[in-house]
Amino acid sequence: MNQLVNALFISRKDIESYYSKPPLITWGILFPAVLMLAIYVKDPATYLNVAPGIIAMTLLFGNTSMAAIVVTFEKRSGTLQRLLLTPVTHRTIVLGKAASAAVYGIATSLVITGGLALLLGMSFVNPLVFSIGLLLGAGVFSLLGLIASVMVREVFEAMTLMNFLRFPILFISGVFMPIESLPAWVKPIALVSPLTYVVELLRFGISGQSYFTSPWISVLAAGGFLAVSWLISGPAFRRNANR
Amino acid sequence: MCQTARKEIGEGTTGRSNNIIQVQRLCKSYGETRALESVSFAVCNGEVFGYLGPNGAGKTTTVNILCDLIERDAGEVIICGLDIERDPVAVKKRIGVVPEESNLYPELSCRRNLEYLAELYGLSRAVRRKKANDLLETFDLTDKGAAPFRALSRGMKRRLTVAAALLHSPEVVFLDEPTAGLDVPSARALRRLIQTINRGGTTVFLTTHNLAEAEALCNRVLILVKGHVVTEGTAAEIRQRVEKARTLSVVLSGEVAEGSLLEACPAIHSASSTEGTWHLEVTDTHAAVAQIVSFAEQQGVRVSEIGTATTSLEDAFVTILKDSGEEREVGP
Repeated sequence: MNQLVNALFISRKDIESYYSKPPLITWGILFPAVLMLAIYVKDPATYLNVAPGIIAMTLLFGNTSMAAIVVTFEKRSGTLQRLLLTPVTHRTIVLGKAASAAVYGIATSLVITGGLALLLGMSFVNPLVFSIGLLLGAGVFSLLGLIASVMVREVFEAMTLMNFLRFPILFISGVFMPIESLPAWVKPIALVSPLTYVVELLRFGISGQSYFTSPWISVLAAGGFLAVSWLISGPAFRRNANR
Repeated sequence: MCQTARKEIGEGTTGRSNNIIQVQRLCKSYGETRALESVSFAVCNGEVFGYLGPNGAGKTTTVNILCDLIERDAGEVIICGLDIERDPVAVKKRIGVVPEESNLYPELSCRRNLEYLAELYGLSRAVRRKKANDLLETFDLTDKGAAPFRALSRGMKRRLTVAAALLHSPEVVFLDEPTAGLDVPSARALRRLIQTINRGGTTVFLTTHNLAEAEALCNRVLILVKGHVVTEGTAAEIRQRVEKARTLSVVLSGEVAEGSLLEACPAIHSASSTEGTWHLEVTDTHAAVAQIVSFAEQQGVRVSEIGTATTSLEDAFVTILKDSGEEREVGP
């Protein structure tokens, strides 16, 4: 219980120090908003096909980038070492830092979602599945960002590592085109990307349609990625946090 | 008190003792480099323990292991009766650490830094506020409470970092080079604070390059060279050990032969004479003086002058480094 409370303290401090700063909020919202607008202007009839992908992409980039920036910044400034000297477990630190990054990712994604709903009339067939998709995606992507960033020392190294993973999975996870339309050889690869399942959950929440026969397949798969990321993050943090 | 503690460690006792820190056969390697090789020592409750050594000796590695920042390869570390590896959270609740670099949150105010860390130590809101106010006052930083940490001078940053280590009233405080880079008044003020902390009953584990500081503050010191403990004891004990191998300057009232002097005085290792003064390298100062006086009587000459320079801990440290082959520390 004490460790959970400590995770909340860590999250609150990170939100106060980093995530509530206007430049970061703007950075997280502007790029997906402009991209979405460009897609809408080009073809207002089909923007809904891409909307779940853009929201998932906002989550992916927001969470991984911010987690990476915060952890590498704290490693360089020595404040991560200060945190390691307090009576909190490595898991608590991971939970606290991932939770604050997740809050940021969810908040920016909700701004994009709200904009789509209010300005373009996007509606929800299943808000519960949409919410589950956002939560699972935020958890997985925050943890992946933490794992990558704790293994390096510089922000650019973290970004290089993240981009090496993020850009390829954007094109195989049904962000810009449905999985059905992907080449046959790409489809099996799409199944090993956590982004695929997040996109499909958001798609089901918005349109009631999904590549998978049931949204629960995506829930289970994304939940599995979350569990694996959580299991990996503890030892990765313990080994690398003070390097 | 500490001799008893050392004896208990030697006997493998880990139960109730006066040792607040017990380290046995601690080993740590970084790849092929062996940073610590079977390091053992004990720190008594309530003392200021100096952990000295040249750069790369393994001091910070030891502190990092004792504070659970890095894992040991082998050995045992017991702090406040608890194994740091098995129960790190419980140990961290009872220790405070001031790392070599002041590493509080640059963007947070001084007061928020203290309150945030106090939250993580489980202090209640009311206690957090009171502690933060008290510490800001004790460390003469009350007027800087709202200022961000990054805006403080180096000395102020150091003081706030020490304050942060004392938030939870720890039993042991680790101070890694606490006065490094500070100007003279700031360093003196910090040394006085360290003495005040220790007088309050807190054990202090101090690593420093400033040997005058160690001599002034520490009850006992340990000297580490290349990951090995080369000597341990009070500053006076260490000086005495080194003095056994010192040079004596002796002026005799008459001529004596070098050979007969060396033959009559086994405590003299080598002898040379310039302008009537003998420069004698001795293995044991007290024995050599007695032998020289006796020899002079036999030869019918008088000892006009005999003397040795007072050895500081720094002199002793340099001699120990020389003996350990650490010549780079000896140069000008």
